[in-house]
Amino acid sequence: MPTKAITPAVLAVPRRNLGELALRVRVSGVLAFLLIIGAIFSLRSSQFLTPQNLGVIASNAAILAVVAAAQAVVLITRNVDVSVGSMMGFSAYLTCDFAARHQNAGAELILMALAIGLFLGTVNGWLVAYGRVSSLIATLATMSLYRGFTYLYAHGQEVTSNRLPRWMLRSVDLRIAGVPMLVVICVLVVLVAAVFLRHYPLGRRIYAVGSNPVASLFYGLRPHRIILLAYALSGLLCGFAGLLYAARIGTVTVVLASGWEMSSLAAAVIGGVSVAGGSGTVIGAALGALVLACVDNGLVLLGLPEFWRMFIQGSSIVAAAAVDVFIGFGLRKSLQGRRLGRSAG
Amino acid sequence: MNRASLWRPTPWEVSLVVLTIAAGAWSVSLSPYYLNVDQIAYSTRQFIIPGLLALGLMVVVVLGEIDISLASTLAVGSVLLAKCSAHHLPVFMAVPIAVGVCSLLGALNGFLVAQLRLPSLAVTLGTMGAYRGLAFIIGSEMGYTDFDDSYLFLGSERLFGDVVPVSFLLFLGAALATGFIMHRTVFGRRCFSVGHNRDAAWFAGIDVQRLKIQAFALAGAFAALAALVWIGQYGSARGDNADGTILFVVTAVVLGGVDINGGRGTVPGVVLALFLLGTIRNGMGLANIPGPTQTVVLGSLLVVGVLHPALSSAVHRVRRFLRSPTKASRTTVPAP
Repeated sequence: MPTKAITPAVLAVPRRNLGELALRVRVSGVLAFLLIIGAIFSLRSSQFLTPQNLGVIASNAAILAVVAAAQAVVLITRNVDVSVGSMMGFSAYLTCDFAARHQNAGAELILMALAIGLFLGTVNGWLVAYGRVSSLIATLATMSLYRGFTYLYAHGQEVTSNRLPRWMLRSVDLRIAGVPMLVVICVLVVLVAAVFLRHYPLGRRIYAVGSNPVASLFYGLRPHRIILLAYALSGLLCGFAGLLYAARIGTVTVVLASGWEMSSLAAAVIGGVSVAGGSGTVIGAALGALVLACVDNGLVLLGLPEFWRMFIQGSSIVAAAAVDVFIGFGLRKSLQGRRLGRSAG
Repeated sequence: MNRASLWRPTPWEVSLVVLTIAAGAWSVSLSPYYLNVDQIAYSTRQFIIPGLLALGLMVVVVLGEIDISLASTLAVGSVLLAKCSAHHLPVFMAVPIAVGVCSLLGALNGFLVAQLRLPSLAVTLGTMGAYRGLAFIIGSEMGYTDFDDSYLFLGSERLFGDVVPVSFLLFLGAALATGFIMHRTVFGRRCFSVGHNRDAAWFAGIDVQRLKIQAFALAGAFAALAALVWIGQYGSARGDNADGTILFVVTAVVLGGVDINGGRGTVPGVVLALFLLGTIRNGMGLANIPGPTQTVVLGSLLVVGVLHPALSSAVHRVRRFLRSPTKASRTTVPAP
């Protein structure tokens, strides 16, 4: 039969692209959702679409996007990191305290924040990868440990903005062609992370470990090492985000960025990063952060109380995770159908 | 079944008892006020609320799942009780309402986990925020303090010459009931077998999904009981009740020797871990150790608790290495 010879060649193309297609649908779904809520808010409130307000939303989303990217890297390996907020707080406090003592400190502050974040992330990664502790429990423990150490170090003090170096506060407020510097930095960081995950072998290995740890082990990867790397990367990004956040709000308290574990997870999951590992993109997570920032801003403009935010954030995690399951279910079904040759006709 | 097999303590449980006694001795040396019946009875207040949550969480963890939304479920329960009290409902009607709603919230978690096959961590992290928001939506941002005395009885009264808190008796009753359910009934047996090997349990004819929903609902019901104790102890209800308690609860369950991957653990272990944590917390409080230090100690204990299997296997490997140096070079295949 002539059709039999043709079928494999015909099938090979869609089958290879099916996963990518699903992801593209998912990410464009996030974009569509963003447009819909944007339309609703701009209809209900005249202030929503002003350039000033959009700038505020972008600034609010920027730092969350970096943290969501950090969370996404860990989620892709089938783990979770609930200590992101504490890592941000820890590195921000230590760095800013150092800056307050050494007024003429320059770029080494950035290195310091990165190093602290990297160290904290490595501890997390070691616990999860080599201590064989479930990722939630390990990072729940380090979440309280890092926050506790910040408290102990701070002795109830806070670093006020007049004690911070001028350049730190000024640089985030700079504008390049009307776009806040903060947004530019964060977009760059997210893009670098995205390129790393998408095009570098090490990045692909992170996906491989997340999508099937056993297969990746048999393939010759070392899953433990890659999970450690993912956590270290997450710590690095969180350390940087902590410094940016401190520079943005000026006054560094011990509770800085507490509760960000929820927001970052919500952003990543809304942006299509699967909690079951192996799928999702950093760009998607950043879009998720933009969605959350829009919702926050819109709720404030509409005058709804603060706790609605918690409810919406929590429900959206569950809803987005459920959507992912249904997409995965449909994908599996259609793949199965192809294997049986049903969809060939 | 002979009496001796009623409860045979595991080595882990024995070490928990020893540690509790050591912590008690340490507390005595720290503070002259420690060794006092009234003080010790009062100190049980420290762990009864997280203890009730831990009993519920233990059932869920044995199944190989986790529920970190329990503290938020507690908040919904306490706000509901406040609403009932504001509408002058008698307590015997209010409690079933709160227990019912909280078990429904638990069952919703269970449904999402079991039926949709979502990871329990993502689900309960989401519902942790959603239920906390729900509690605020029901009760608004204002706290409610105007409770009828009948609502406060469980959490605040003491019996037997004004010594033993009623809430402590409630906790003991709940612990005995959970111990009976987990170690003496078919339901408990099934929980352990599902946690141990889900697929094998399914092939053996166990309705895994229904079992999971039931376990999550049970945990929700325990959260409602904890809410009842909460309003008795603090006399107030607000949406942010018990915020941050979940660390203590998870620590107690893990330190109690319950395997976080499911299938292993005992109720007496969890209860002993609660006594240990309660003693440590009480001692630190009497010694004027500030809250952040207590959090650090708690977090370290959690790490030690979860690293326990890894540490003991490391010790085992070192021992084997010392016994036969030639065989030590063979490495174990890492479990992904």
